[in-house]
Amino acid sequence: MTRATQTISFALLACSGYLLLALPLLMDESPIPSILPTKLQVEIVPVLPFWALISLACYLLGRLGWGVLNFNDTEDAYHELMGQIEQAKKDLDKRKVGWN
Amino acid sequence: MAKGKANQNKYSVILPTYNERQNLPVLVQMLYDVFTKENLEWEIIIVDDASPDGTLDRAKALQKSFGADHIVLRPREGKLGLGTAYVHGLQSVTGNFVIIMDADFSHHPKFIPDMVKIQAATNCDIVTGTRYRTYTPTGLDSKMLGGVYGWDVKRKLTSQGANILADFLLAPGVSDLTGSFRLYKKEAVIKVIEATESKGFTFQMELMARAKAMGLHVEECPITFVDRVYGESKLGGEEIVEYLKGLTGLWWKV
Repeated sequence: MTRATQTISFALLACSGYLLLALPLLMDESPIPSILPTKLQVEIVPVLPFWALISLACYLLGRLGWGVLNFNDTEDAYHELMGQIEQAKKDLDKRKVGWN
Repeated sequence: MAKGKANQNKYSVILPTYNERQNLPVLVQMLYDVFTKENLEWEIIIVDDASPDGTLDRAKALQKSFGADHIVLRPREGKLGLGTAYVHGLQSVTGNFVIIMDADFSHHPKFIPDMVKIQAATNCDIVTGTRYRTYTPTGLDSKMLGGVYGWDVKRKLTSQGANILADFLLAPGVSDLTGSFRLYKKEAVIKVIEATESKGFTFQMELMARAKAMGLHVEECPITFVDRVYGESKLGGEEIVEYLKGLTGLWWKV
């Protein structure tokens, strides 16, 4: 199963679930009765998709900010590498192999 | 124990080169130092794509100095691309482990022993270097630092953004999907490379995505990545578009 199949299946499932909750709002004579208390049905359900989208965006942006904040700048690694490159060049000179 | 070596394994490093006349000898010397210090059986397979700067002559000089049993030359007729270079090099591999790394010092050979230890402790199929995590992997005694030198804030944002997007879309289970410093069991890399179709840096992403999809056991090793030892690190709009296209392609195919 490809990742695309998984994502699309999940999306369809989520849509079905949401439709189950939202159908009474969309149709006058809904075949499926409202299963939630009226207040939830009228005030929460319509905005649920937007809430989900914004939450997702916040989550991803939060991860991005956190990742950049905690990013390790490894200056020591740079200096260590430079030193080792110089040493390697000396060893190559001993072996009579060029490096320029 | 084979000939007094630390273990029974042989490690083959595949180095595709194009105009690496200056870097190649230094890298080979550094690899030699690491393998000798750790007492490991090794070979380096140099796949040169007809470099006009004489890289192949350098490679021949290295072969003379370090020995033809350690330096294997498999040159090609023209610039044919990274993916096919690995496939070409793989055919000459006599080791049971394959190491793939960049030839521009962004990947440091000193991490190879750490990857070897992780693989030995977990018997995983692949050990992949990660720049984005810091922790103590299974098989090692101390915490290892994952990080980069040479990236400004803009570059960090782009890289982290790219990685998070890939993680969200593909959920690959590795923290650094675009990394290309990896230790593979030979059978694992052959199996995965056969299924891989992409070109460019998407190739490395696809290798990992397919490996995970095939159910291979992948462990990570935090590494420090020194970007652009010589010159500026560039990441243009073109690369970003290519990346997004590659990512979507992977999401669809794998």
